[in-house]
Amino acid sequence: MKISDSTYGFLLTLPGLLFLIILIAFPLVTLISLSFCRYDFINPVEFVGLENFKWVIEDRVFWLALVNTVIYSTGVTIFTFLISLLLAITTARISKLSTLFRTLIILPWAVPLVVSGLVWRWMLDPGGGIYNYIIFQLGFVKEPLNIFADPNLAMIGVILADTWSRIPFMFISILASIKSITPELYEAARIDGANMINSFRHITLPLAKKGILVGILITSMFSFRTIDVIWSMTRGGPAKATYVLGLELYDYIVRSLNLGYAAALGLIMLFLISTFSSILVYYILKR
Amino acid sequence: MNFSNIFLKIIENKKTPYLVLIPFSIFLISPIILMLFTSFKGYEEIFRYPPTIFPQNPTLEAYIRVINSEAILGLRNSSIIAIGTTFFVLLAAVFSAYGLSRFKFKGRDKILIFFLTTRIVPPISLLVPYYLLMNSLGLINTYTGMIILYTYLSYPIIVWFLKAFFDEFPQDLIDSALIDGCSRTGALFRVILPLSATAIAAAAIITFLWTWNEFLYAIVFTNSYDTHPITVAIFLFVGDYVIEWNSMSAVGIFASLPTIFFFIFAQKYIIEGLTKGALKF
Repeated sequence: MKISDSTYGFLLTLPGLLFLIILIAFPLVTLISLSFCRYDFINPVEFVGLENFKWVIEDRVFWLALVNTVIYSTGVTIFTFLISLLLAITTARISKLSTLFRTLIILPWAVPLVVSGLVWRWMLDPGGGIYNYIIFQLGFVKEPLNIFADPNLAMIGVILADTWSRIPFMFISILASIKSITPELYEAARIDGANMINSFRHITLPLAKKGILVGILITSMFSFRTIDVIWSMTRGGPAKATYVLGLELYDYIVRSLNLGYAAALGLIMLFLISTFSSILVYYILKR
Repeated sequence: MNFSNIFLKIIENKKTPYLVLIPFSIFLISPIILMLFTSFKGYEEIFRYPPTIFPQNPTLEAYIRVINSEAILGLRNSSIIAIGTTFFVLLAAVFSAYGLSRFKFKGRDKILIFFLTTRIVPPISLLVPYYLLMNSLGLINTYTGMIILYTYLSYPIIVWFLKAFFDEFPQDLIDSALIDGCSRTGALFRVILPLSATAIAAAAIITFLWTWNEFLYAIVFTNSYDTHPITVAIFLFVGDYVIEWNSMSAVGIFASLPTIFFFIFAQKYIIEGLTKGALKF
């Protein structure tokens, strides 16, 4: 007996679907139920209602981490977007050496994020950091910057390292959508007397919108939840100046061993990210 | 000639793009170059002030120290985990993508959306349930545990990405294979897969790289150098007070090599794959 096409297609999909359900539905249910329980490896596990959420939200550190996370991911997304857009426009315009420049621009991707944090920490180090030394030699500052002792500078440092790692993806995303625009459009605009700024505003930007929005969506989502670069550069310091939600969650699990708090915070982060990204996805799909 | 005309002249000049690209490329590549240079410096030189750019007395000291340390096990662990993950992700994703792309069935669109939404859930939110799950299955600190988690991280996206490729596959070719007596599974293996080799290669490379570069699950779910991937093993040289920058850089070079290798030899497929996958939804 031959099974029908639709059953066959479903059967092909089924194993993967089951795997995903086990690895996502089960943990989500566990996460939600844990968030209502006291689970601290000291007292017996028991239902405590909204106590965990209350504790997490009333903690001053949560708000500090939330503000830091927003500053961090906004900073990373804006810088990544501006630099990638500039690089994508310019790379799309050249023909000579374009493969070389494209390779150089995506190369930072090869460095795992944690390693990128370590390398930038080394280059910005007040003792032997080459970038720090160059800034000092150029006379911008009176003494080598002690980046990791100054709260504001530390935030700039981690944003810089993360931006460096995230440019390649945004760049490829924008470049691909610019390249998919038919050259005739530019030709027609030129004949009609449009200069480069006009055609950028009225052709490139609107038609490359999808690539730009996808790039922004992925970059902001990923930088909101990441800990890699901060972990290897500052561990959240100095004085919690770069302490983000991801690190707070990690500390609840590893340092305070309080899985109830960790679950509550995990749900809060899930809520924040999915609300934000649903709005952006809706906006992308609408056009 | 007013000011804005001069500005236009400048940006419309054919050489201007190079004036932007050259400094930015140098900026983007410099950390990697400096990491490479640092890895050839001796212990005395890394703490010297003012710092040097080029190694004054190039030495393999750092590499020898890394190779004789436990950190080198990270290369083995990362390779096993990344290759294992890539194998399982592709095995599962090829069948799912074929089913979702070529056959109509009830709930197909819902399943596709479900695949995508699983990736909106931040992996960090699921740390606690995964910790309990892995703990109860005895999979903490095992390759199997890591491969299961990483398969979950890549599989949904790879399905979307392969589906985008299969969607564009000419139906005529499949039909003629079916008429010739090929089964539906046979059509997948004899017609579709051989002709989608580049897409499969791109999917494999992307999965490999995502897994290789991951850090969060690696640091929570492995706890000894026997299982630490390279992204965690590198911290062997990062102490609280002293960081062995040259050995750290040597591990960093090891950690970046597979990707650099893929970028140089398969860049076209990776870019094509990523843009197709990312821009399709």
